[in-house]
Amino acid sequence: MDLLLQQLVDGVAAGAIYGALALALVLVYRASHTINFAQGEMALLGAYLSWQFFAFGLPLLAALAVSVLACAVLGMGIERVLIRPLAKRNQHLPMIITTLGLMIALNAVIAWVWGHQTREVPPVLGQGAVEVAGAALSRQDLVIIATVLGGAIALAAFFRFTRTGLFMRATVGDPESARLSGVRTGRMLSVGWGLAGGIGAIAGTLIAPELFLQPGMMAPVLIYAFAAATLGGLDSPLGAIVGGIIVGLAENIAGTYVPWIGSEFKQGLALAIILVVLLLRPAGLFGSRKVVRV
Amino acid sequence: MTTQLDEQTERADAPEPAAPARAPRITPVEWLRTPRPPLPLSKPVSLTLGAAGVVALAIVPFVNPSWVNLHVALVLIFAIVAMGLNLLVGMGGQVSLGHAAFFAVGAYTTAVVGAAGVPAVATLPLAGAVAFAIGWLFGIPALRLQGLQLGLVTLALALVTPPAIRQLDEITRGSRGIGIDGDAPAWIPLDQDQWVTLLALAAFVLAWIATARFARGRLGRSFVAIRDAELVAETLGVAVQRTKVRLFATSAAYAGVGGGLYAMLLEFIGPENFGLTLSISFITMIVVGGIATVPGAVLGAAFVQAVPAIAGEIDPAAAGFTYGVVLLLFVFFVPFGLIGVIRGALRPLVDRVPWLRPRRLR
Repeated sequence: MDLLLQQLVDGVAAGAIYGALALALVLVYRASHTINFAQGEMALLGAYLSWQFFAFGLPLLAALAVSVLACAVLGMGIERVLIRPLAKRNQHLPMIITTLGLMIALNAVIAWVWGHQTREVPPVLGQGAVEVAGAALSRQDLVIIATVLGGAIALAAFFRFTRTGLFMRATVGDPESARLSGVRTGRMLSVGWGLAGGIGAIAGTLIAPELFLQPGMMAPVLIYAFAAATLGGLDSPLGAIVGGIIVGLAENIAGTYVPWIGSEFKQGLALAIILVVLLLRPAGLFGSRKVVRV
Repeated sequence: MTTQLDEQTERADAPEPAAPARAPRITPVEWLRTPRPPLPLSKPVSLTLGAAGVVALAIVPFVNPSWVNLHVALVLIFAIVAMGLNLLVGMGGQVSLGHAAFFAVGAYTTAVVGAAGVPAVATLPLAGAVAFAIGWLFGIPALRLQGLQLGLVTLALALVTPPAIRQLDEITRGSRGIGIDGDAPAWIPLDQDQWVTLLALAAFVLAWIATARFARGRLGRSFVAIRDAELVAETLGVAVQRTKVRLFATSAAYAGVGGGLYAMLLEFIGPENFGLTLSISFITMIVVGGIATVPGAVLGAAFVQAVPAIAGEIDPAAAGFTYGVVLLLFVFFVPFGLIGVIRGALRPLVDRVPWLRPRRLR
């Protein structure tokens, strides 16, 4: 029982990170109707930047803030320079290839600048664990869960109660009418990418103490984030978080209790989840269905 | 009115005579972005060119050291995979970012069946067949998805491939890797690298012919119809779903044969040979070479083989960076690939030399 409880707790913590990264994917999808394959590497860059500024002597939170800002600017720049010209052509392949190219290039740059040796990002509240109903929850996990939940609520409030949030929803829902009503739709798309970049940087920095910070760190996380975003519905921010937690739970429980999957093959589970969801319920749990009129 | 104007210009005795009609000047970027049809070469000319190429490639293994043969063979092998991928992406309009998985299936089929005592050559058709079957099984669910979703699923497939190989330890020997005997049969007096290079060349020529026939045949036309207008294709009686799955499986079979040859060439394979980088280099090949063209596959394969060798001398990370940047540059500036550039460059020559063209175009 204790083992199960422990797996559940670990699953929620891992799932929160997947959810955060999935949230970044969803924001990009809502803005540009594409999947940003480079999202994982942007989060990785965020983690490295946090580490770098921390190593320069900034306090961890300040380093994180700088890194979030930098990644947000990077996200906006990518949208403006690379994605928007392609979005007009309305073809999937060039966009997929572009974000794929970004993914490899970013990863190579990171490996070039920081090398392949692992770096240590300190946990936010120090080492140590908290006992929760018989399961040990590391302080970092606690920070992760709190940050992701808090961030998700803040983001929901931003979309619901601010002018910019309203404009962004309008841009996603009906770009043409939004533009006619005076919304700077292009800028809203950039803001979406910027938010995604910032969220990615937070997720990368928070997960870095638990994994090892090296250039290959985000590839496995990214595939879970894909699964989470697909499960939640690619255009639903709420779905991303819920999907992330479900994927995190499924991953931990299957990895522990299904001997054949073990710890090595858990990524196969992500592929299975993606396939099953896309086949049985392509819109995911919370996504909007697309109706095509002929 | 016109005459008056003409007189006026004459009286003003303009220094320049009227220039002959010319194509409007375009910037180099526009030139690169112009779509170009294949060069109108006559059949004897293109057959001669093709035969000369094959003969030249067949001589290569006898006059070069084995490390050169290794590169040539890899280019041929990758070109086979790229042709298959091009069928899927270029003609079928479906994306696969996970062809390394089928490449791995082919490689491991050759390795495992070869280890059971079957000569490695005989395993190549089997490698293709197994990859075809697995491509079919994967394609049935995956191809109900479109564009972006298919990209997502196949990328996940690419990410899962190395862990899957490690997981199937009993068959694949996991991270320890598996050895393959790629030597020529005893009665053929060839070194291993010469033998595999020639085998790859044979497979490459077969693949080229098969692809060209596919493209012109009924199946190829149904692919294009599905790509361009799925609904129209369906109303015209194309069994869309079945054709798509067949296309995906065929494309996987090319990758499987390529993988089998790859295993014979390297003689030792492990999970890290089949990572995401490989899948992405396949995509790079067709983007660089030119999507939906057969010769483009060769150019792309040569490019992908040359880049890590050159860039890797600067820094191992430079190869990845070059891939990424090249992908971006080609998407934006050379959307029709190297083959488009070559067509553009050679077109004036073909236009000027009549005997290059088929009789009806002279």
